[in-house]
Amino acid sequence: MTTAILTRRDAVPATGAASGPSTAWKVWVGVLAAGLAVGLGCFLYQWTHGLGVTGLSNTVTWGMYIVSFMFLVGASAGGLIVVAGSELVGTTRFKTLSRLAVVVSVAAVATAAGAILPDLGRPELAWKMIVQPNLTSPLVWDMAVLTTYLVIGGVDLYVLSRPSVSERAMKRLAIITLPIAILVHSVTAWIFGLMVARPFWNTALLAPMFISSALVSGTALVILVALAARRTAGLRFSDRMLGGLGWLMLWFLAADAFLLLAEILTTLLSGSPDHVHQLEVVLIGRLAPLFWTEVLLGVVLPFVVLSNPRWRSKPVVLAVVSVLAVVGVFFKRINILLSSEFEPLVDLAPGIPGGRPGQAFDAAQIYVPTWVEWGVLIGMAAFFLTLVTIGVRRIVLPGQSNDLAATIRDAGHHEAHA
Amino acid sequence: MSEPSPIQQQGSTSVREALPPASLAYGEMEPGTDEPRWGMAVDLERCIGCWSCAVICKSENDVPLGMWWNRILTAGDALDTPEIGEFGELSMHWVPLACQHCDDAPCVKVCPTSATYVGEGGTVLVNQDDCIGCRYCMASCPYGVRVFNWGEPEYAPPDGTGMVEARPVGSVEKCSLCVHRRDEGLVPSCVWSCPAQARIFGDLNDPDSEVVQAIRSRNGSRLLEDKGTEPKVYYLEPRRKRPL
Repeated sequence: MTTAILTRRDAVPATGAASGPSTAWKVWVGVLAAGLAVGLGCFLYQWTHGLGVTGLSNTVTWGMYIVSFMFLVGASAGGLIVVAGSELVGTTRFKTLSRLAVVVSVAAVATAAGAILPDLGRPELAWKMIVQPNLTSPLVWDMAVLTTYLVIGGVDLYVLSRPSVSERAMKRLAIITLPIAILVHSVTAWIFGLMVARPFWNTALLAPMFISSALVSGTALVILVALAARRTAGLRFSDRMLGGLGWLMLWFLAADAFLLLAEILTTLLSGSPDHVHQLEVVLIGRLAPLFWTEVLLGVVLPFVVLSNPRWRSKPVVLAVVSVLAVVGVFFKRINILLSSEFEPLVDLAPGIPGGRPGQAFDAAQIYVPTWVEWGVLIGMAAFFLTLVTIGVRRIVLPGQSNDLAATIRDAGHHEAHA
Repeated sequence: MSEPSPIQQQGSTSVREALPPASLAYGEMEPGTDEPRWGMAVDLERCIGCWSCAVICKSENDVPLGMWWNRILTAGDALDTPEIGEFGELSMHWVPLACQHCDDAPCVKVCPTSATYVGEGGTVLVNQDDCIGCRYCMASCPYGVRVFNWGEPEYAPPDGTGMVEARPVGSVEKCSLCVHRRDEGLVPSCVWSCPAQARIFGDLNDPDSEVVQAIRSRNGSRLLEDKGTEPKVYYLEPRRKRPL
């Protein structure tokens, strides 16, 4: 991305651009509109033709849509947790970031909620989940928690967008936000973690791992959006503050890696044969390339780079390791989902019915996403970026002029320390 | 079904009338208790792996092409490969597999709309009107016996048999232990059709029933017992000591 995509840098931010939209802005809006159109088109095509147009089968019954759902729920962690967490521990370090961070969170949660629809065989009946919920289903609870999270994010945004932010209101909101944020990731993990049929998911560590992975990808995403918005929309974030986020991510990466190691070690040395079998798919089997990429490029490399204070204060370096961490967490979600589906518990010949005419049995248990799925994923990405763009234009930019003074204070504070 | 099925064209109104008398000979069922718990024992000593029960299940329940509610697994690498492959000591074993109708069914717990529910006699059924197609039940089933309607169904014969209602695209389906037959006092079709009479169907709550007697005397076991799902389908291990 070049400079001045949204508005010119240092220009006075305005919701209705006074001097007419720039070419870069028009291109950006065009890209978003095209992405949304592709996504919507693929979704409608799938809706009319059935889920058979995807690469899913009776064996791999959940695929990229559910991976995206897990990933987006996790990606929402960064903003709300960093903002609420700083509020509770009383640090003003990330104050300038709060609006943008919450915008990213709300956009991710809203997109995650939307990501469920294309996975449904009959999206037109989704309302039945609300009018006749089965309270023993974790999916119902996840829907309730996600909705609550979305509402709280909305309230957060409302409070943050008012001319003068009430400190007491922020503190109270933070006290509600933090537990709900932790619940969102836990309940999403329990959709998978409470199943006896899937040993690889059925671990008490799944919820903690979802939280740690969420913190990694969430923080990385906030860094990326902040860097992009600083370059293109004239938002004022100091390198030092962003480096502080990098420092947070360092610890989140360490926690995430530790939980993963604990899980793998316990399973390898003392797990049930079924569990070990599914783990081997990840360690040395079909998913090994994804797994080792995730570990080396998504965890080890970012960790080494971020542990150096000089490197993590460089925007380019931060951007690269953030991309790596986000991709790493995405790969991790794929590994978690597919390893269990590739190895059904009852795995005798000829296997599970393939499901489509002419495809009696699915012995190979292969999953290759089709163009329809990629199209819908493009739509999800465009939807997320559209929400972020609207949020930056309508909430973050107008808010920035209000706390210009605070920004200057923040900068002065940093210089005093440097 | 838009067109009347071959059976409907004959003017039959019920399953009972449509069936040849021979099928009724093995087919009557009777609850042994006031609150029956329908279950089944599959005698692996008798099973010859002929797939008759799988095929009749397909036509009985109009299961579209590419889908099976009931199939016969071979213990071994492939359908036709003996598990024990030493010349002169070849031996093959099969595991007929359909919904296990668990007493503690994971699918019933996770279904967000209660489309999967516990029906009469403890059988696990799906109400397709409420199925939103999230496939959570399929992910949660340890036995992999549920199938999804991925697209427009194709039948053999092309118009289907019309014994049961067609399931909509985007919904999940599975073995109902022939609920439409049980409603008329008839055993599931896989039971009466088995040429080796390897399946015994009955009321698990009745200690004197043939099925409970068989499970007791043969020390019947269940699939993935350690998962705690409490299936109502029991398997009776072969008793022969030496391979054929």
